[in-house]
Amino acid sequence: MQTIKYLKQSVEEGIKYVQSFPDVQEAEVAAFSNTQSVVRVNYTSHIPCNGVEEPKSKEDYGISVRVALKTSDGIKIGFGSEANNCSLDGVRIALEKARDGAVSDLEFVSLPDPSAVNHERTLFNYHDQAVMDLSDKEFVRAGWRILNGAIEKFQCSQVLKEFVVRKNLSAVSDLGLIVGGDLTIIAERAAICSTHMPEAMVDESTIITATLTAMVEKCVSKGTGYGMYSRLFDLDDWVGREAVQNAIDGCGIMTDEGLQEPVGIPSGAYDIVFGSEPVSDMLNNLVLPGLTASAFYEGESPFMGMMGRLIASPEINLYDDAVNPKYVAAKGMTCEGIPTKRTDLIQNGVLSDLLSNWYETNRLLRDGNAKEKLGMHPFRLFAEGKLQPASGFRFGTGGGRRYDSTPGIAGTTTILTGTDPKPVEELIGMVKDGLYVGRIWYCYPMNGLAAGDFTTTVIADSYVIKKGKITAPLKANAIRINDNILRVFRDIKGVSDRNRGSILWAADEVPYAPDVLVRNVPVEEIGAGGAMTAGG
Amino acid sequence: MNQKIGISIELGDAMKQGLADVVRGSQKKHRWLSYADVRVNLEEAQAASAQNGMLKESGRDYGLGISVRVLAGEAMQASGYYGISLGPTDVRQFFPVVENAVRISYERALANASHKAEYKEQWGDLGKSLWSTRLASVPVREDTIPAEYRMYPMDVSLDVIKETAKSVSHDLLGVSDKMKFAFSFLATWVERELFVSSEGALIDQTFCYTQGLVYAVARHNGVSQSHYDYLGHQRGWEIIEDGIHEEYMSFPNYRVFAENLALDACELTLCPPCPWTDAPVTVVTDPHYNTLKVHEIVGHPTELDRILKMEAAYAGRSWLANNLTDTFVGKRVGSELVNAYSDPSLPGFGHYVYDNEGTPAKKVWHIRNGILEGFMNSRQTSAILGDEPNGHWKANGDQVVPLVRMSNTVFAKGDRDPKDIIGEVKRGYYLSAHRTPSIAESRENFRITARKVWEIRDGKLETLYRDGGIMADSKDYFMNVDAVGNDFLLFPIPNCGKGQPMQVKRLGNGGPTMRSRAKLTGPREVK
Repeated sequence: MQTIKYLKQSVEEGIKYVQSFPDVQEAEVAAFSNTQSVVRVNYTSHIPCNGVEEPKSKEDYGISVRVALKTSDGIKIGFGSEANNCSLDGVRIALEKARDGAVSDLEFVSLPDPSAVNHERTLFNYHDQAVMDLSDKEFVRAGWRILNGAIEKFQCSQVLKEFVVRKNLSAVSDLGLIVGGDLTIIAERAAICSTHMPEAMVDESTIITATLTAMVEKCVSKGTGYGMYSRLFDLDDWVGREAVQNAIDGCGIMTDEGLQEPVGIPSGAYDIVFGSEPVSDMLNNLVLPGLTASAFYEGESPFMGMMGRLIASPEINLYDDAVNPKYVAAKGMTCEGIPTKRTDLIQNGVLSDLLSNWYETNRLLRDGNAKEKLGMHPFRLFAEGKLQPASGFRFGTGGGRRYDSTPGIAGTTTILTGTDPKPVEELIGMVKDGLYVGRIWYCYPMNGLAAGDFTTTVIADSYVIKKGKITAPLKANAIRINDNILRVFRDIKGVSDRNRGSILWAADEVPYAPDVLVRNVPVEEIGAGGAMTAGG
Repeated sequence: MNQKIGISIELGDAMKQGLADVVRGSQKKHRWLSYADVRVNLEEAQAASAQNGMLKESGRDYGLGISVRVLAGEAMQASGYYGISLGPTDVRQFFPVVENAVRISYERALANASHKAEYKEQWGDLGKSLWSTRLASVPVREDTIPAEYRMYPMDVSLDVIKETAKSVSHDLLGVSDKMKFAFSFLATWVERELFVSSEGALIDQTFCYTQGLVYAVARHNGVSQSHYDYLGHQRGWEIIEDGIHEEYMSFPNYRVFAENLALDACELTLCPPCPWTDAPVTVVTDPHYNTLKVHEIVGHPTELDRILKMEAAYAGRSWLANNLTDTFVGKRVGSELVNAYSDPSLPGFGHYVYDNEGTPAKKVWHIRNGILEGFMNSRQTSAILGDEPNGHWKANGDQVVPLVRMSNTVFAKGDRDPKDIIGEVKRGYYLSAHRTPSIAESRENFRITARKVWEIRDGKLETLYRDGGIMADSKDYFMNVDAVGNDFLLFPIPNCGKGQPMQVKRLGNGGPTMRSRAKLTGPREVK
């Protein structure tokens, strides 16, 4: 990785160089350096496997220039970047590319100006130096340690030994044990300088996450474990153990009548307690994309015209907290050099703010249809400290800040809380005939984001509830939910007092969510015809 | 190597032989190394985007990156990988960079192998499945495959690309006052992939790609319709100006393609919402819709890494196999009329001659006359299952580790006239163009929405509905297929996600018109 000192020096020298051209009205020079190390785990007790399948990493760094140019056709905006060269020569090449591609964008107002926002930077020096110094041997060993935690949990399970006997098998390995997932360690360094910020803003962040899925295939059971660590020192094998324990729990529940194995349920409308992963998945795919300034500009949010109005149960509060260093997705500044902050998106069910970047905030403030789109005048919102450009990031897939792209809008740590939180047992106790759903899959908006229609299947960590008690595990892949997120958000009848983070595949944000109780969720039984019964 | 400015794909000429020397010499340098390969990706690209008649971004750029795999170990073999993005300043030091990348991969592989051997002992019964990594053998080739194009991507003026993006997004707003937002994105680029292995392979493939995306949002009387679609091929800029008129691919030029989508979005704002049905009904699906269906419920489930449970945590497993001894191979998974295969020799985004480990790419039948036959694989997965490598290990670019991916995965052509397939239906629905998929974890069930759904009454298309789709268990759906059309078409899929970190990859899917039974889905009304 490139040092922060080098990146800072590069952008400070770079901005001086770019500004020396008389046709340059405004400019921004940004340099980013990233390393992403991933240990991908794949263990199968019944199929030859490698345990740790892929110890791998990728690295990149580079410099970019955003520029507003005075031309005979008016102001033109350009962006260019150069890989692996943050010298003045790299800046020169990036500027040439920006000139070549410059366009007349009449909606452009200016490049980001940190002095125009009404909040100060609060987060500095929050990264873990040990991550920056991570050795190859350490990171391979960390992956095996997590897997070993999972295997040890399988080995010492009395429940699995009972299943071996029940199912007439000869060894625990015959149960079809699977452990898959990854340990991902990301180090990011950023430096930005511009006409509006002659002294470089810098940021260093480190992210450690682990996601493990464990299965006992013969019991149609799947469990998940998540780990998020601010410090490498805290990384242990807990995530492997948790995934396996959840998979074992899904094999069966001891009742007065004996062991209750996983069951399916018929189609119908059920009261469902959604766990933190499904709530996070809905936030990531259905809600947060609609809580951006760009979605409102394009008319694609499910919440069009609803600023200041009730869009969810008053039980619900949702905010994006970029500045709390205890969360792995914390960032000190955006990829536009703007200080990050906490953004309260939904307060007591009322839509109160949006995620935005500099371009989109300024575009909405000048959009003649903005009042209709938002439901409130954008100037009023801005005067209240809302629509702040505090979410302009250039995230790459799976982490890292991209030097070769312009800023989009992304959340960081997105947290859902309840106004009147209750123990999860109380929520389960409120369900007469329903489900606890712990993990969902392919939760997508089916008829465009604005419609709010979604569907998803239930794949793990789920249970049947009868008369307020969990009575059986729900078979993995046995139901599909077809609903609408607007309906779900309005019909939330309770929120738990526990709040867990989930790592979602290819997501920018790390959501933290409680369990929520929703009434009358339409459920479709699937796979009842035995699609998975090859019978060989 | 001398380098003037930037990176051009011609640089590959100067890299090839030296790269081969470095990789072939790696076994001498590293005692426990049994295999190494290096992929080099060179790219030159141009792109422009516009919204509502206003340009937003445009540019020309280049890229260079490498990805290394090493198998090594004493008691057991294991793999180690390393990827890095490079720039023009690295070209002078290119071979030392590659040597360093091989060294890092080797050290990772050694550490990995050492832990594997240790835990194999320690875990007892549960350690038995840990194996010493092997690759199935493939012919070792030296080959050069040129790109196919008429208008070379980098010869097109960036101004032409900008003007096309701008004017198309402008004109879309003019198709109707219902159009509220129009987005146009155009890209044309050339990629050169060098693959060198310690076994002696030296593969040099160049690909031209051109792609046009359209996104249209229409609104009328409170009904909003947003739709997007892609036009794309492994060709030059000519496909944007002239469209595609080939045996298996048919597109109008980009302007007409974009206008058709915008007109659909506007028309749909006037349509009633699609009804739901409680029971399966007769459904006829067109080639564009079947493109996503074959992708989701045939393509992904026939990737061998899923069969081997390697994707259980991410992309999922497969409804076609419970385990290696309990599979549908040789068994019926659909009616006699269901045929599906993957064929990298077909044109389009899924076309290539060698995959990313130098395996000559082959057509593989997945379902023949309703019977499951085989899977897409890689050298490693093939070594586990014991079948023959068929060349489907692909990455979406440099730095990342390839995965088993689709090439061109399609439903095979039938012999029926699509008009007759509709004409025979007394009461049913016709679905045209795919929209959004949601698939169960092992792909045993799907719900996929369509852009347009018509009711069929007495063999004729009647009411057009918005926001409709179908939902079914995969096997039930295939068993009920009773007509397959002769109108086979291929379409580009530009955004297939798989892997960790996710790799979004281009590939091809397609098929003919088909008729089966499924439940109809619509929107959920919110009161």
